[in-house]
Amino acid sequence: MGTREHEEYPTVRTPAKSTRWRLCGFVLLIVCIVGAVPWTRQRLIAGELLRTEPAQILKNPALLSEAIRIGRPQYQRHCQSCHGSVLQGDIARGVPDLARNMWLYGNDPVDVERTILYGIRSGHPKSRNVTDMPALVRTGQITPDDARDAVEYLQSLAGEPFEQAAALRGRSVYYNKGNCYDCHANDARGITDYGSPALTGPIWLYGGDRKTLYQSILNGRHGKSPAWVNVLTPVQIRALALYLVAVPRVSVARN
Amino acid sequence: MAAQEEFFDVSRPSVRRSVVLLASGALIGLAIAGYGLFTAKGTRSHTVPPEDIALVNQRQILRSDFMTQAQTQFTLPFAQTTREQRRQVLEDMINEELMVQRGLEIDLPSYDPDVRNALVAGVELEVTADVLARQLTTEELHAYYEQHKEKYSTEGVMQLRDLLIKTDASHPTAAALETALSAVAALRRGQPLDTVINKFNLIDSGRFMDTGHVDTGDIFQFAVRAKVDDTLYQATLPLQDGEVSDPVRESDGVHIIAMVKHRFPVPQNFEAASDRVWTDVKNEAQAKVRSANLAYLRSRADIMVAPEFAQ
Repeated sequence: MGTREHEEYPTVRTPAKSTRWRLCGFVLLIVCIVGAVPWTRQRLIAGELLRTEPAQILKNPALLSEAIRIGRPQYQRHCQSCHGSVLQGDIARGVPDLARNMWLYGNDPVDVERTILYGIRSGHPKSRNVTDMPALVRTGQITPDDARDAVEYLQSLAGEPFEQAAALRGRSVYYNKGNCYDCHANDARGITDYGSPALTGPIWLYGGDRKTLYQSILNGRHGKSPAWVNVLTPVQIRALALYLVAVPRVSVARN
Repeated sequence: MAAQEEFFDVSRPSVRRSVVLLASGALIGLAIAGYGLFTAKGTRSHTVPPEDIALVNQRQILRSDFMTQAQTQFTLPFAQTTREQRRQVLEDMINEELMVQRGLEIDLPSYDPDVRNALVAGVELEVTADVLARQLTTEELHAYYEQHKEKYSTEGVMQLRDLLIKTDASHPTAAALETALSAVAALRRGQPLDTVINKFNLIDSGRFMDTGHVDTGDIFQFAVRAKVDDTLYQATLPLQDGEVSDPVRESDGVHIIAMVKHRFPVPQNFEAASDRVWTDVKNEAQAKVRSANLAYLRSRADIMVAPEFAQ
């Protein structure tokens, strides 16, 4: 009877089969552990990057290198098309030269992170949108002659050759009729709260030649940057901000 | 007895035991699912995620927003703010979040017009954000300019008189037309405007008034278009300085336009119009997105309208 039952239900495993299953299970476990280690490490690094103050990360080479490792591919994928392969920007389109430290809204990593998160005039309610460059001539606030005088004044500030009498009149336009000092500051070095660029050269947002400066005053400017809050993860945005702040500093230090 | 032995002897297969275990498993599974379903309170996080500074009723407050808030409030780089300042900012942000949640709890948007307006504006911004953020290429702008060239010109300015010979039972249209033709002929012969007005009893139509008087100054072309019918406007458009239109019949009588001075619109090239082109492209794209969004919202909404407005 016992022999017959054994023949009908041959499910009891032999010792050899059982060992084989245990071995498979063990290999699977090892594979899972090996796979989980880098994943856990990434999670830990992401957590540390987010919890540590950005200014502290800049002083921590190990963490900073992790940020750069995560941030660089994001830059290449999402930012490089406008900001250039080496952060040099594009003067024709008013994309700032980050490699030469042209930070319209400040170069504190917290400021940079906010710009990446919500953009500039991106339409996001939290985007940077206090003001933009008005078309002073087109709106009739100043005349074309006033604009030409203001350009001469800016040439004098930038240390370029300028016409004395026109520059004097332009100075008056800057502080009175044009109200330029209100956004660009008394010393014309720009105000990061408004994202207004310095007008003292030698680095210009749209170009410092007479024709371009006149065009800026004539037609105004309204540069934009998209909001990445719904595209990138928080850690990618933090890493990108740190990458943008750290890389120019490293290049400047090397040079 | 033998069946009971077989049931409990795990070294021997038993169909009965298998069925009982399967049924028990299914019942336990159903019980757990049912409990979860009827007592669910959403997914709770017991730790604060690294990207957040706090969770208020599971709603996150982003670290990034917290740092920006601290910088703005104390006009200092975040690294220079004190622990006490940060604590204060955090408390403020938690309080704000609580107030917002309370507002939703008491359904503020359903009756507060300010909240409703803010919500509408916020949703509009949200749906048009991509359009606003999209960087337009010069080629796109050029293509749009070429397609809508007629829109881009400086605004024309006119100084004109819209003279009228009223028609009624005593002065039928045919007679008014005859008088108008004589007046036009006199004007075209070079007779002074005031003389002709007096001679033929012409009156100002009253369509171009400035503080109670006939407006004889500069009038923008768009204003002329807004104030006269299309036939009369078309008759006005080609007139040069000093020219007079043919008589135009309208419901109130026969009109004659005497153009004193006409500064015609000057077409703008792409460079001059590029700002307006940029704005128009953006506005058009925004309008398209906005109407698509409304169409989508309507398609999934259950809207019932009172019978008298149903058609």
